Amino acid sequence: MVDHYNKLVKLAARAFYDDLTSKGENQVKSGRSDNRGIAVVILDALTRRQWVREEDLAKDLKLHTKQLRRTLRFFEEEKIITREYRRETAKGAKLYSAATAATVDAQLTGKEGEEKVKLHTHSYCCLDYAQIYDVVRYRIHRMKKLLKDELDNKNTIEEYICTKCGKRYNALDALRLVSFEDDDFHCESCNGKLEVESDKFVVQEGADGDDNARRRRHEKLKDMLQKMEIQLKPLMDQLSRVKDLPVPEFGSLIAWEARASAMGRAANGDMAGDSKMSQLGYNGAPMPYSGDTKVVVDFNGTEGNRHDVKSETESSSLKVLPPWMIKSGMVLTKEQRGEVKEEIKMDGTSTSTSAQYSDDKKSTVDHDDKKNIQAFPCSFHLKDEYIKAYYAALLKQQHEMEASKKQDSSDTFTENDPSSRASVRQVGIKSKHEEDDDDDGTDWEQAPVAGTGNENYKVNDLNVQADVAPADVDEDEDVDWEEG
Amino acid sequence: MFFHIVLERNMQLHPRYFGRNLRDNLVSKLMKDVEGTCSGRHGFVVAVTGIENIGKGLIRDGTGFVTFPVKYQCVVFRPFKGEILEAVVTMVNKMGFFAEAGPVQIFVSNHLIPDDMEFQSGDMPNYTTSDGSVKIQKDSEVRLKIIGTRVDATEIFCIGTIKDDFLGVINDPATV
Repeated sequence: MVDHYNKLVKLAARAFYDDLTSKGENQVKSGRSDNRGIAVVILDALTRRQWVREEDLAKDLKLHTKQLRRTLRFFEEEKIITREYRRETAKGAKLYSAATAATVDAQLTGKEGEEKVKLHTHSYCCLDYAQIYDVVRYRIHRMKKLLKDELDNKNTIEEYICTKCGKRYNALDALRLVSFEDDDFHCESCNGKLEVESDKFVVQEGADGDDNARRRRHEKLKDMLQKMEIQLKPLMDQLSRVKDLPVPEFGSLIAWEARASAMGRAANGDMAGDSKMSQLGYNGAPMPYSGDTKVVVDFNGTEGNRHDVKSETESSSLKVLPPWMIKSGMVLTKEQRGEVKEEIKMDGTSTSTSAQYSDDKKSTVDHDDKKNIQAFPCSFHLKDEYIKAYYAALLKQQHEMEASKKQDSSDTFTENDPSSRASVRQVGIKSKHEEDDDDDGTDWEQAPVAGTGNENYKVNDLNVQADVAPADVDEDEDVDWEEG
Repeated sequence: MFFHIVLERNMQLHPRYFGRNLRDNLVSKLMKDVEGTCSGRHGFVVAVTGIENIGKGLIRDGTGFVTFPVKYQCVVFRPFKGEILEAVVTMVNKMGFFAEAGPVQIFVSNHLIPDDMEFQSGDMPNYTTSDGSVKIQKDSEVRLKIIGTRVDATEIFCIGTIKDDFLGVINDPATV
């Protein structure tokens, strides 16, 4: 289906945009900067992609972004592509990369590394197949109509131009232009002789406007029309082929991204972490803002400490059954479903997590390594049971938390304090970050419960660098406000 | 196209017409005034067909003229784009020919004359087919189609074509 449309795009590109040059710079250009045909290359490249960030496209095509943009703007005006602009952080960009990873064949390198809080406006573009179909049809229709009208001179109002002063008249002025001295029309202002300005697009030779020239022009037009029919034949065939096919829709950038990342996760388990994080960030705040970013960075740090805690609980608890082994009829303990603390925490607070839970349902199936099972609790597809368990566990957990907070402040602190995590981030441990994100979400909610503890932590905790702590605690509280 | 419509006009009447024939005088003056005029909005007023209502006269200060608001029915003619008209050729030149359909002037440029008709200059300039069977000259009657109109406040001018099926000469004075 898409193939047919892609073929249409390619044909149209070659038919109409082959000799497109960027206008501004056509003075003294030599072969080097002759960029004819670039439009075709760009359109072809776009047929192999869905939504694509323009910088990436430029990189892939080894084009200058400026040049690419100019052409893309042209195509946008021609209604061939749609573009979207988004202000986003480097992370947001990554989010996109994650989405593309799932769909685009030629993959660009995922950007890891420095998380800039700075916002950049990124633009994305995508072919708009539905509109392309209409645009091409309309274009052909116009071409034909123009030629046909010109050919049988139907309904054309003649234009006259003064040979002396260049003043223009049309046939509606005819009555005033008649002179009684001779047969000709004469200019009102200079009394010069008027000539028919007959040709709109055929170069007139001789310009004596008599029958001969007219006949010649007629021939030419007929010729042109015929040639057009022949040359556009493949395009028109393609149009009729595509006529009854459903149009491939990618939707808006946002929708597409969500879909693509979901697909990606379903396809391969390793992607899950990355795209999930991005989606989370995305659902939470469509326009990424700096606060959000900071929060994520903080999370990432946790896992050194967090991990320890978790592995500890893991070993002590019952063996978690993998999701594919759980069926609705089975009688299992919560632990067996993997519904222990962690999961509950995961969904305890953040709306974003629950929002994507349908996605998780899908993805869980494919996660076979243990980490991921923990990250995406298998119980998600058993909704009812899950909810029941969730409330129960939440209650339990809150009690526990309160108790443990009092007893063992240092231990709690490792969970609660974001500051200790900041320094531990590593590139390789992505999927773990996610788990931590979610855990943290819960922790914050609970922060107010144990709210007064903040001071204590700072003093008591041994794992933390005390100097960083105050600032981070503040941030932590900020987040609480937002989420609460 | 012709329309039968009601129009209104303020008529000024000289005191010398006052008397028992006042009404008749008013009507005949109305006819003299409006018939044959052209307004861009309604087209040409062809004929006054009746008086709807004559309002109360108002004596103008200083002159003694009396103004009567008169409502009258009339036939108007307004050409439209795409309309087919029959017209009489008034002038032929190499740019095309002019024709009149009643009060309306129509110009048919040589591009809108069938390709097989050629311009023949001379004493009686005309457009003739190569076999000479059809000839358009002054006083020929042609059926044409209006393809453009220019409507001013007091003037309507049209351009027409005879390059279509069933258009062209309908009665050649030379053969009659």
